Amino acid sequence: MQVIISSHDNQTVVTLTGRVDTTNAEQFLQDISPLMEGDNPDIVVDCSGMDYTSSQGLRVFLMLQKSVGSRKGRLVLKDMQPQVREVFDITGFSNIITIV
Amino acid sequence: MSLDLHCEMILDEYRQSLPLYRQLEQEVRAALDRIIADNNLYVNAIESRIKTEESLRGKLEIKGQKYALLNDITDILGCRIITFYTDEVDKIASLVEKTFDIDWSNSVDKRKLRDLDRFGYVSLHYICHLPADRCHDARLRGFPFEIQMRTALQHVWATINHDMGYKGDIEVPREHLRNMNRIAGMLELADEQFSRIRNEVTNYRRQVQTLVADGDFAHVPLDSDTFSSYLDIHPFHKLAERIAAINQAEIYHDNLMPYTKVLLRLGFKTLDDVERLIRDCSDAAFQLASHQITGTDIDIIALSVSIQNLCCVYTLQHGYGVAGLEFLFNTLADNPKSNHQRAVRIFEQAHKINIV
Repeated sequence: MQVIISSHDNQTVVTLTGRVDTTNAEQFLQDISPLMEGDNPDIVVDCSGMDYTSSQGLRVFLMLQKSVGSRKGRLVLKDMQPQVREVFDITGFSNIITIV
Repeated sequence: MSLDLHCEMILDEYRQSLPLYRQLEQEVRAALDRIIADNNLYVNAIESRIKTEESLRGKLEIKGQKYALLNDITDILGCRIITFYTDEVDKIASLVEKTFDIDWSNSVDKRKLRDLDRFGYVSLHYICHLPADRCHDARLRGFPFEIQMRTALQHVWATINHDMGYKGDIEVPREHLRNMNRIAGMLELADEQFSRIRNEVTNYRRQVQTLVADGDFAHVPLDSDTFSSYLDIHPFHKLAERIAAINQAEIYHDNLMPYTKVLLRLGFKTLDDVERLIRDCSDAAFQLASHQITGTDIDIIALSVSIQNLCCVYTLQHGYGVAGLEFLFNTLADNPKSNHQRAVRIFEQAHKINIV
């Protein structure tokens, strides 16, 4: 798993590649923890390179969504691969987080 | 224009008292914020200001001899509470009376002064002092301050009127007076209507809560208010718990309100229709979820999986097919490409497990 964070036009972009599973979800959380505070709550996660997420990964996305929501920002997950999108759909997480 | 010695002394006293007025402003604002929050009131705004030296000088130029001391000027500190509804002005006034000492001889309910030929759409003004038990600094006790309470529409009227530069009704041209009075009348009617609508909505919500609590669903039309009350009795929890039990999963309680729109678009008219959906489609919705998550390592689901699968099953069992599912998903999120893929996937899964 690789997490790259960058800023474009007052928007934070997280580029996530590889698998998010039980072994690295904690690292994923640590990597994005700076985004859980601050004045720039609009976040786009580029999921095109993410090929799997476990429930632990879903929990991290949920924490990020709550943090962004509490600061009146918007979290968007974009370009998700079909097998990852299916996990979000069958768990109902696509009802919670905006996916484009 | 220069002031006489008496007025200059008042102005000098003002300059020396400014730090205390700033302290007073903080204490009054904190007290007002507290009473609004403690009583679950939601107001449009709470404002405060300390009169500027320039403004005070102007006042002293006009009527300086009226005041013996700075404390005779009651609006050096002015606060304003702007409410949404007329009855909230009275509620807040009552709380202000309990919080501060009111100088009744100088306070005025200008709302009661209205006559047919009276100019204005005016508010309630109290002249107050901090009570002894609220004073952290005894020196603040001596300073009067003004609290104005008015509705948002009264505020708009007063602000625009003030912007035009007329403070009384004597110097006002008759045509302006007539036009402002017409608007004042219209806004007063609007204020009454807003209060009436608010009361009707409140009564409707209470009636709905009673009907829902009594299980009288057939008489409750489906809308966002009624669905919100319906969710209070947790109608989808049982199915969500069944689904969660497949993998011993945790349930995250997300917001189901977006599904109001979906249910309405599926043609549901009453809460009884939603009850029928749960009764008739829960087993198939469970089978669909079981097919999707059995054998995976998923150990968290959203509560909304329950209503999501119920709606999918209903759509398919009524013959709406892939297009119906796409319509359902597009109602929730406008993402046509992935919604189509999702619809095809669920259509195939439903056929595979024979729930359609």
